[in-house]
Amino acid sequence: MKQYVMGIDFGSTTSKTVILDMEGVIVASAVSHKGSVSDEGAKASIAEALAIADISQKEVIRAVSTGYGRRMLEVSDKSYTEITCHARGAVAMVPSAKLVIDIGGQDSKVIAVDPQGLVSQFAMNDRCAAGTGKFLEALARAVAVPLEEMGPMALEARENIVISSMCATFAETEVVALLAEGKSKPEVLGAVHAAIASRIVGLVARVGKREPLVMTGGVAQNPAAVFHLEKALGLKLIIPENPQIAGALGAALIALDEARSDLADAADEDDKVDSQIDAARCGTPTCTAPKAKAGVQVIHGPLRH
Amino acid sequence: MSNFFNAAEAPVVKANRLQSSSLNNRMVNDYWTEVFNAKAEGKLVCWYEGVAINPLMQAADIRWVHGEAWSALLAARNNEGPAQEAAESRGYMKELCSYARTHIGCGVLAQNRGVEASGSSFSDALGAGLLGERVPAPDMFISAYPYCSTGQQWDEMLFRLFGKKIPIFNISVPWVWGNKKDAGYLSGAEFKEATAYMVRQLKECIKWIEVQTGKKYDYDKLSEIMAYTKKAGELRMEAIDMCAVKPAPASFFDWTTSLAPVNFVPGGPEIVSYFETVKAEIAERVRVGEGAIPQEKYRLFWDGIMNWNKIGWLANKFAGYNATMVAGRYTHMGFWHEHECIDVNDPLEGMAINYLVCPINLSAPLMIEEIIKLCKKFEIDGMVLHAARTCRAFSNPQYLIADAVQKRLGIPVAMIEGDMVDESFYKDELVNARLEAMMEAIEGKKRMIIPHAA
Repeated sequence: MKQYVMGIDFGSTTSKTVILDMEGVIVASAVSHKGSVSDEGAKASIAEALAIADISQKEVIRAVSTGYGRRMLEVSDKSYTEITCHARGAVAMVPSAKLVIDIGGQDSKVIAVDPQGLVSQFAMNDRCAAGTGKFLEALARAVAVPLEEMGPMALEARENIVISSMCATFAETEVVALLAEGKSKPEVLGAVHAAIASRIVGLVARVGKREPLVMTGGVAQNPAAVFHLEKALGLKLIIPENPQIAGALGAALIALDEARSDLADAADEDDKVDSQIDAARCGTPTCTAPKAKAGVQVIHGPLRH
Repeated sequence: MSNFFNAAEAPVVKANRLQSSSLNNRMVNDYWTEVFNAKAEGKLVCWYEGVAINPLMQAADIRWVHGEAWSALLAARNNEGPAQEAAESRGYMKELCSYARTHIGCGVLAQNRGVEASGSSFSDALGAGLLGERVPAPDMFISAYPYCSTGQQWDEMLFRLFGKKIPIFNISVPWVWGNKKDAGYLSGAEFKEATAYMVRQLKECIKWIEVQTGKKYDYDKLSEIMAYTKKAGELRMEAIDMCAVKPAPASFFDWTTSLAPVNFVPGGPEIVSYFETVKAEIAERVRVGEGAIPQEKYRLFWDGIMNWNKIGWLANKFAGYNATMVAGRYTHMGFWHEHECIDVNDPLEGMAINYLVCPINLSAPLMIEEIIKLCKKFEIDGMVLHAARTCRAFSNPQYLIADAVQKRLGIPVAMIEGDMVDESFYKDELVNARLEAMMEAIEGKKRMIIPHAA
């Protein structure tokens, strides 16, 4: 029986699942949009990924979860935070990455990573939903524009206006007032994206600006968010092909490290660590990085037990 | 499959708290019992905030209520609710320092309480959950607040609340900038001037106290009190230094519960014997290799003020992560930590120095140097910065501190939100994600340090 590993990013608004074979090649990925930390959503993305891979859950020898609901999943053997998994996933997708911006549903984070995909520093939004996917969702609702259309529409703005409120609820009031004043939807939406960008700039400053800068998470698919972030940061963002699955990919890569470590016949912990370190280094016989479809990557794994 | 620190998978772990802490609880209870008995014994009661000026009052046989200590006690005994609500309904907003809000709430409750509440004993008030309402009203106020803007006005707010009739004395504690050319920690002309300025004010305050009591001030008594205080400070710092070993025998949480004797408990043989006991317990733990938590894998530093609602809870939480919170700005950079400066025969200057270098009164460059020294000394793997929502004085420099330790020591940090005595500002799930991410970063780093094979 062929063996696989799974990474599940059980987020606050979407669930993402990635399945890798034991060579580290992505065999399936799935994204499910089903409410807040919905068990149903996680199950749906797992089922879809299994169906795409055409395998059964039994063939998955290790699963690692991340995201807000990471502890709720029975199928997962272990969980890690979104910070660790997004860093790992982003570096797998863009090996040269030094900084990762991830705007998730509930939080936004800026992570400085080393070449091995390890987190060296990070900053997360504190206090409120300002600068998160939830902020965008609330304001898309206020403007009565479907979430997926708000980005392209915001790029049509001809006038720069400002939303000063950082609280999602108050910003919603501000948006309604701006619309009542006769401002166009594109202009209001442009201001919404600029507001998010200004929050992220603050987080970047805490970690330290550096390049190459990769953006992951669902909001990376929003062209206005990318435009305003690039403008505010004065830097070009690298958007991987499928930015939404970065966390799940990172989780799956960690699952792979752990599965390999469990399979190793190491006699003691030191040997296990050594073999892991070997696996971490490209060019060793166990390094399968170049075969992975998620870009040229270094599969490594100090984070395993 | 083996697991490590993941919170979901980690068993509930109880921190191995110092046994001697229970002696501290007794001392604190005895102290508050005396405060509650003050009126019956014909003693004046002084309400004050900020630095530990209580020896000044003790020498004049005045009983004292330290606003922050009192609010922390209410929170630790789950008695803070009525006082906080009373302050809010009086118009003091939730974003105001929760210590001030709680203490001012006690003032509001004191205005409203019935006759039956006066003369209540501490134990009765505690038993009835009415500590906030029954604390003895002030006969005088002294304010000695460094840096914090609320602190400097808090006594004035209480003064107003009590009808502007109660005498008040304000000591202005200058901010230690360290900007002059020769300036350093505890050194330079600027620091000397600030110290002299403080000493002048302390002398003025003593004259004012003489007016309130109608008695000549007993400087010999002050020297005696400061001799005990100095010794207690010395023993505490020696015991703290012994925690540099691995595993650390006591944690930041143990040191927070040991603050009362170097903050507001009367200076006397009890505070010295308390720290002798603490030090002996730590020495024994060092001898047998016993740690503050069952299994020390990570060593952390706590920047920021304490969350008094959650001491035991946080101690156990970090024990669950196999992380000892070894040191902290709050506990290690204040509370008579500069005991060597105190000349017991002429204690005012040494007192002034300790007041000046309290953990919020140093400008960021000076403060960061002291924090970095501590991180190195205690071999810290990561830093938790507790940004207290209503204590901007403590959290103002935290981005600078975080930046400095990350760059200079290469250790990860996690910023978490909470508060001193208002539970509602703490959100466990938000805190968990940040702490766990930091611990994962430490773990990753530790594994990468293993030298690569040829």
